[in-house]
Amino acid sequence: MDPLATCPLEVDGLIIDAIFYVLAAATLLSALAVVSCRNIFHSAIALSACLSIVAALFALLGADFLAASQLLVYVGGIMILMLFVIMLSQRPATVPLQRANSQWFWGLLLSGVIAWRLLLSFRQVFRFEGSRTPPVPTTIALGHLLMSDMLVPFEAISLVLLAALVGAVLFGQDLAENPPK
Amino acid sequence: MITEAFWRLWSVARFEAGTYFSHLFAALVALGTTHGVPAVAGSLGVMVVQVLMIVTAVALTTLFMVYAERKVSAGMQARLGPMETGPWGLLQCVADAIKLLFKEDVVPDSADHWLHVLAPMVVVAPVFVCFALIPFGKDLMLINLDTGILFIFAISGVSTIGILMAGWGSGNKYSMLGGIRAAGQLVSYEIPRVLSVVPLLMFYGSQSLQSIGSLQQQRLFGFLPKWFIFYPVIGQLSFVIFFISSVAEANRTPFDLPEAESELVAGFHTEFSGLKFALFFLAEYAYVFLAAAMAVALYFGAGDGFFMAWIPSWFWFLLKTWVLIFVILWLRWTFPRLRVDRLMQLCWQFLLPWALVNIVFTGVWILWRHAP
Repeated sequence: MDPLATCPLEVDGLIIDAIFYVLAAATLLSALAVVSCRNIFHSAIALSACLSIVAALFALLGADFLAASQLLVYVGGIMILMLFVIMLSQRPATVPLQRANSQWFWGLLLSGVIAWRLLLSFRQVFRFEGSRTPPVPTTIALGHLLMSDMLVPFEAISLVLLAALVGAVLFGQDLAENPPK
Repeated sequence: MITEAFWRLWSVARFEAGTYFSHLFAALVALGTTHGVPAVAGSLGVMVVQVLMIVTAVALTTLFMVYAERKVSAGMQARLGPMETGPWGLLQCVADAIKLLFKEDVVPDSADHWLHVLAPMVVVAPVFVCFALIPFGKDLMLINLDTGILFIFAISGVSTIGILMAGWGSGNKYSMLGGIRAAGQLVSYEIPRVLSVVPLLMFYGSQSLQSIGSLQQQRLFGFLPKWFIFYPVIGQLSFVIFFISSVAEANRTPFDLPEAESELVAGFHTEFSGLKFALFFLAEYAYVFLAAAMAVALYFGAGDGFFMAWIPSWFWFLLKTWVLIFVILWLRWTFPRLRVDRLMQLCWQFLLPWALVNIVFTGVWILWRHAP
């Protein structure tokens, strides 16, 4: 086996910390870019960058399956649909967006309060326990769980998804022109 | 006597590049530690060297794929192809690369400057990441992830965003139309592509390309290779769907509507010149290489040879990959481009239902195999 396959585990905690802080700062910066860009396409690109960096954070913290699905679903699926809609609905000559309206103060206050409460509860719930175990691949365990203990919730979620798909097709049909037979 | 000694040496050494590389890198790290380099820095340095090796190898391969494309197309059209630069025109692509490096980088006035700069990079960067997961031979892969196939699909989906950025950022109607077509096509064909490998995951119970490849290196009745392509119905159906949708994902003829030159000039890369154009070109060929390499790892037993066990696995792998690359080039020069509605019809009314049916077939097969 290649000697480097075990390398990430040996890498000092300091390096992992440094990577974590760089990624976290990049997440915050790109999130800030999402709300402050005046061009809607730039905002969407910043959002996809933000979601990709969050996937990198998941990978760093050992959730490899979650990281891959985050990229596949959000960046590769939802963001492309969003960009597609932006491209179809706007002219290439971009219309600058209005960044705030008259309710900016109350919005700021509400989001500040929510952020404060989240911070407080995170500090209560997540305490660093002092032992850093190397991340273990999660894919196989997840697969076994989904096919055994979690089978019923998994199937229930897929039923909800199916209902959403059928609903989307129904809404997408032009019922006035093609009435259902 | 001498030949016998030679064959014995060969059968011991087997020129398995993976083993030699892992020994070499272990020795390098050890050498560094004895000279006071921290082990972490040593292994990080070795990792950087390995990544650079992958990037260089992929870039050089794509360069020679362009040469192969010219020669294959010339052969199919009864021409000679490039003959002047170097022997048999072998250096033509090197000359082209140097020419593209020195060309002026034109950014149109109406273009969005940032998107125009970033788009080629966003298109080309993910494909190199994917090659880290390809088992080029025995022990010859950069990293063996449990999420292997899913990770490759996830990462290569990011390139679509780069194509959309190029289409929008050029400030040009043709580019915009090309970008929209690309988004529709890539999102559609990604679905049958992912579903076509589900039978493999069900059958082998793993997503890692290495373990799927090594599970295929056995023989049925002592001679028939247990490659997935040889399993009746499920293997062939899965491979055909994977192959067609991979060609569509690489934006190649007969699926090159996003850059259809007779209607859209050059689609999303109309406004790119010089190195930026070269990056788009590189990405297209690297995706073809990736599709062929993935098909070999998943359906053709990775580095497994038919017979002649003395040939190293990386050679078998590259040989099979180049055969598949030739098939993709062959498709390009023999099929006309599809119409937009036919493209979508093929994806949603043929590939997708058959991919689902194939999953059911595989489920029945597995049930029958496990039946008491």
